[in-house]
Amino acid sequence: MSPNLITVAYIIAAALFILGLSGLANPETARRGNLFSVIGMIIAFLATAAGIASSGYVELAASLIPAIIIGAVLAARVKMTNMPQLVALLHSFVGAAAVLVGFATWLDPGAHLEGVEGVERLIHDIEIYIGIGIGAITFTGSVIAFAKLDGRLSGKPLLLPARHFLNLAVVVVTIVLGVIFTRTQEHNTALLVLSIATLLTGFLGAHMVMAIGGADMPVVVSMLNSYSGWAAAAAGFMLANDLLIVTGALVGSSGAILSLIMCRGMNRSFANVLLGGFGTTGGTVVEIDGEHTPIDINETVEILKHAKKIVVVPGYGMAVARAQHSLARVVEILRKSGADVTFAIHPVAGRLPGHMNVLLAEANVPYDIVLEIDEVNSELKNTDVVLVIGANDIVNPSALEDPNSPIAGMPVLEVWDAEVTIVMKRSLATGYVGIPNPLFFRDNSRMLFGDAGDNVDAILQRIVGS
Amino acid sequence: MRIGIPKEITPLERRVACTPRIAKRLCQSGFEVWIEQGAGADAEHLDEVYVESGAQIIEDPRRIWSECDIVLKVNPPGVHPTLNYHEADLLREGACLIGFIWPAQNEDLLRRLTARNATVIAMDCVPRITRAQTMDALSAMAHAAGYRAVIEAANAYPRFFAGQSTAAGKVHPAKVLVIGAGVAGLAAIGAAKGLGAIVRAFDTRPEVGEQIRSMGAEFLELSFDEESEGAGGYAKTMSKEFIEAEMKLFAQQAMDTNIIITTALIPGKPAPKLITAGMVESMREGAVIVDLASQQGGNCTLTEPGEVVVHHGVQIIGYTDLPSRMAIQTSWLYASVIANMIDEMGGAEDFKIDLENEIVRGALVAHAGEITWPPPQVKPVTPAPQVQSETWTEGGAQESKSKQSIFRRHAGLFWLAFAGLAIFLVGWRAPESFLSHLTVFVLACFVGWQVVWNVTPALHTPLMSVTNAISGIILIGGMFHLSGALSEPATILGIIAVFIAAINVSGGFLVTRRMLAMFRK
Repeated sequence: MSPNLITVAYIIAAALFILGLSGLANPETARRGNLFSVIGMIIAFLATAAGIASSGYVELAASLIPAIIIGAVLAARVKMTNMPQLVALLHSFVGAAAVLVGFATWLDPGAHLEGVEGVERLIHDIEIYIGIGIGAITFTGSVIAFAKLDGRLSGKPLLLPARHFLNLAVVVVTIVLGVIFTRTQEHNTALLVLSIATLLTGFLGAHMVMAIGGADMPVVVSMLNSYSGWAAAAAGFMLANDLLIVTGALVGSSGAILSLIMCRGMNRSFANVLLGGFGTTGGTVVEIDGEHTPIDINETVEILKHAKKIVVVPGYGMAVARAQHSLARVVEILRKSGADVTFAIHPVAGRLPGHMNVLLAEANVPYDIVLEIDEVNSELKNTDVVLVIGANDIVNPSALEDPNSPIAGMPVLEVWDAEVTIVMKRSLATGYVGIPNPLFFRDNSRMLFGDAGDNVDAILQRIVGS
Repeated sequence: MRIGIPKEITPLERRVACTPRIAKRLCQSGFEVWIEQGAGADAEHLDEVYVESGAQIIEDPRRIWSECDIVLKVNPPGVHPTLNYHEADLLREGACLIGFIWPAQNEDLLRRLTARNATVIAMDCVPRITRAQTMDALSAMAHAAGYRAVIEAANAYPRFFAGQSTAAGKVHPAKVLVIGAGVAGLAAIGAAKGLGAIVRAFDTRPEVGEQIRSMGAEFLELSFDEESEGAGGYAKTMSKEFIEAEMKLFAQQAMDTNIIITTALIPGKPAPKLITAGMVESMREGAVIVDLASQQGGNCTLTEPGEVVVHHGVQIIGYTDLPSRMAIQTSWLYASVIANMIDEMGGAEDFKIDLENEIVRGALVAHAGEITWPPPQVKPVTPAPQVQSETWTEGGAQESKSKQSIFRRHAGLFWLAFAGLAIFLVGWRAPESFLSHLTVFVLACFVGWQVVWNVTPALHTPLMSVTNAISGIILIGGMFHLSGALSEPATILGIIAVFIAAINVSGGFLVTRRMLAMFRK
């Protein structure tokens, strides 16, 4: 296949990827968008396969077919609540692939770089070095993120002493090694330097994610999403392949936007999240005195049955308790009996951008009753009952009322404006941020203690039974 | 303690200062509630219902005035039309009166009340601070007035409000201009929007533009730098240049709009004249103007308070009793606000005048024989003006600012310069092939940035998994290295790379498909 034809195929593939992403603007066009992306991928693959020498086909098939099967099995088996883990794991694969492609390219520069010297050679070396570095950070960072999300590692931030200094030192050493790498003519020295740099950047990625706590995971996963894109783009530079560059840039900017949205959702700067350690950065915590009002299932059911307008606020606790299915049934029944029930999703609820939406969609909740924070906040004043399930910091009034609070200025769902707020929670314990929530002590708040899953099931039974 | 509610004596007033629901609340908190016979009749609250909620019906209003500890009123006390006494004169020595007082306009009344040693809480003087929001009677009434203004306009307007497609042809929606986006203005915007009109709004305070837009109206702006928010979040008088520009805008808008609702007020001054006779004449046939400022002289030069004037086919509605036209609703709102105020003052157990309490002190206009109005100055609650506007107006005074803030203000510029320098260096030294790739890269970044902002937040997880899948495109990179001998390290690395990238591609696409299939309407 001639290079021109391959280029044309790549242009089509790139266009299809862009169409695929733009399809996600709306759930109705999203499925078609995904199909576009798949077609783009197939075109890109076939064109590349036709372009390489025929001797590689056996190896290609041998590595490709089992991989596709493994991927399909992973995709079919994963539970929707475990989606964050899967996404993090897949990011690590891109990172690892980028590292491998980087090494392979360095060992076997390919025809287009035979005899290239001077500035071009230098740029090529830098591309490889950066590509491998980003790949390694993505790989180890994603592996750690996966382990944290999967519960194999504690979600608590690991804060080594002098960690900022450590990170800085690693960055400086990596840059020095980079200079050595591009200067040396000795093949073995260069290989050694490259390997050390890979380990160092790998350490950097792992250490950075270790220092970030569980609830900041939406930002971390988005950031790693972005990195995996930049890693692909860097591979595109080193292979002089425009399709890789375009795709990498698309993915990279997509991840960057998601990180930005998540940071805005917490009213924190990107640097603040990355440097990690919520609660260590100061802000005095006001002690709250006051009484909370506990209620039981029967009272909750009574309140829900008499409410005309209900807003449900799910949080990570709903995902942990896998309460979405029973909850969806409860909502369905309430809606059938004439109540106006909607869901309110805070941008950083859950461990992944849009995590709650996926869980609710899985439980067959129509997406047009799942609303965003801006659509809901103004409505809450006219709401009879707000049901908070496994959420805490995103409904904390301190964010608006206490300028010294660590979460001051973070957009929150103003559930206390409603007539009654029912909070389903295990205890009065603080949320991830480690500050008490005055919401629990408000006059119009009711606490329903216990496991969210059991409680929602019990509510469902009473409602069905009545 | 005993709370008394006399019937309102002001003509056209239908509201009552306490509804049965609130009477119940007051009784439950330990008050004895006396209400004049028929006090709630105009607000459709019958005496029996009051009795059910625990209140006592008193026939003679004079007993309420002379025997109660706290008297609740809507309008300021005045001369009783039939019994011929001034309400304030009957007030028991040292009793408490809560209601609208308008102390600036009613100095004589204030003197009468101090002569009775009365404690007077003026609901119109409650300070505009966040904590006092539940006691903000003016906002509650303004909200109702703004809503009602639209309903009156719709009633008088001889066309459809919303656009319609009929068998006989298409009808365009009405265009509504709301002047002044305070509480009343915003409520009017909401109501007009709800009826399906095209709504535009103007306010001299540029910072309310966001609120106007959030209600779904278009914000008409003048490009003018003038601070217009006075103390307590009210508008203030503007400069001559500003007013000229503003009048020009209204003249243009008048020709294009069907309905104008004016709500412009400046505290303590007559309402600004914003709509001239000429503008009225230029309006379309059937147009309606509702002037919410009519009591303070009107925003339109032709407004007659309390009347509907028809000029050149345009109806100018100057009703002064808009809140009273929704008496059931507004009585309840007003009574709730009053009950909140009573709670703030300590409720039945601990009712007292706490001069340290900012809200009570603000509303207290007479106490223990002395006029306590105006209260000591409240600190303005407006946010600090933005740094940028300061820079232009005060130029020289800025030099003492630290270097860091200069850097902060120009951070964007520094980054731009840095990026420019980097691009320059690249262009200077790098070969052509690299530059063409860089072009592709930068353009793709911008395309990605634009496309992804359009993704709905509900689909962020599918977005991540699909970008994950397409970043598996890196398998192409692995494929380039497959052609070598199997013993070569590059080939082995290539095979592994293809393997793991392919897991990503198939896994990512399939899981995206699975998720998207779940989203249903």
